[in-house]
Amino acid sequence: MDQITDNALMIKVKNGDLDRMGLLFERHHRQLLGFLYHMTGQRELSEDLVQNVFYRMLKYRHTFRGDGEFRSWMYHVARNVIHDEGRGQKRTIRAQELEAHTERISGTDRADAGIQKRQELQSLRQALNELPEESREVLVLSRYQELKYAEIAGIMNLSEGAVKVRVHRALQQLKNHYLKLESNEM
Amino acid sequence: MKCENDKKDLARWINNEMNETERAAFELHLAACPACRLELETDQQVWDRMGEMVTPEPSASLRPRFYAMLDTYKASEEPTRNAFADIRHMFRQFWSVQPGFRLAYSLVLVVAGLGLGYLINHTGTKDNKDRIASLSTQVNEMKEMMMLSLLENPSASERIRGVSYTSEIKQANPQVVDALLTTLNNDPNVNVRLMTLEALAPIAAKNPSVREGLVRSIVEQESPLVQSALADVMLKLQEKRSVQSFRKLLQQKDLNGQIRVKLEQTITELI
Repeated sequence: MDQITDNALMIKVKNGDLDRMGLLFERHHRQLLGFLYHMTGQRELSEDLVQNVFYRMLKYRHTFRGDGEFRSWMYHVARNVIHDEGRGQKRTIRAQELEAHTERISGTDRADAGIQKRQELQSLRQALNELPEESREVLVLSRYQELKYAEIAGIMNLSEGAVKVRVHRALQQLKNHYLKLESNEM
Repeated sequence: MKCENDKKDLARWINNEMNETERAAFELHLAACPACRLELETDQQVWDRMGEMVTPEPSASLRPRFYAMLDTYKASEEPTRNAFADIRHMFRQFWSVQPGFRLAYSLVLVVAGLGLGYLINHTGTKDNKDRIASLSTQVNEMKEMMMLSLLENPSASERIRGVSYTSEIKQANPQVVDALLTTLNNDPNVNVRLMTLEALAPIAAKNPSVREGLVRSIVEQESPLVQSALADVMLKLQEKRSVQSFRKLLQQKDLNGQIRVKLEQTITELI
């Protein structure tokens, strides 16, 4: 394995070789975009936030200590970016965003999916967006980013036990909220 | 039916966070508990549905935007680096202003020489002799100043030049001696220290306080070269007070072997 690790790359960036951030971008931008998208529910916004996250990692590169995984640090930075974004401007999920989202679903390989399915997914998206941030976060990290509880604990500065409680609670919240939205649709 | 099972296990099972034994125990419980089975089923449904939500592909502009941002960022850091380089450049220029100083010095010498020649041609009067004396003191002061400023120079060769001026100064004043002794004790460059010692040796022959300064300097020296040169000077001066300092040096464990032999020899010759 002669592939250079993320941590080694980031250390080089920290020491002034800023171009190395390019390879880190290539490796992680998809996953990061997924995280930001599922956190905000807004596609364009999350693309902006990807830039923000990489900008901050450049600006605060001296804070990377290299004792943990680069990926965890990236999520850590991403969480702060989302947080600041929410603080600066309380964005609510616009209906058009949701519509655009369902459009994409029907437009792609899910063309056969019926109206029923589209509505269900729309409700789920809405339910997820309306969860408290800390609940949405653990669900996105475990479901979409497929992180283990231990890694989530590291990113969020929590114990693994606390993550276990949060995931459980968040899943219950999402389920109840979603079922409620679904019954309203009927 | 009352269920004792920890509900958090449902999410852990779905998330594949259980080890072999935990999973076996949980699945055993599931088989016996319809309530848990039902709950797990709905949880799993929501979980699977979450998976159906598409994660968007990055747009075509994401990558170029990133690289543009990276370039801008690099450029934004550049000016600070340049500013730093500018300051260093200015600093260096400040030091290299000294050739101008040297030019002034040589001009003064030429003028002084012309003045002296003029005066020598018109010798005889007491007034002229006084003028010659004052001019030569001025030249001497000038040299001293040159020397002192060169000793502060960051370049070792310039400092060596400064030291070499002392041979031209007829009567070394305390300020010059002090500067030389400080250089001998503190200069980071061995060659400069050696040159300084060479310049101080003839002064020490006439001046007891300089000799004292040299004796004190013995224990300050770490370089074998300077230690050896100091031993030579002391031997030449027949300075018996240095014996104690050399003995102190000999107590140092990491002293160079050859120096040890030389110092012992010097001590026997001095006593």
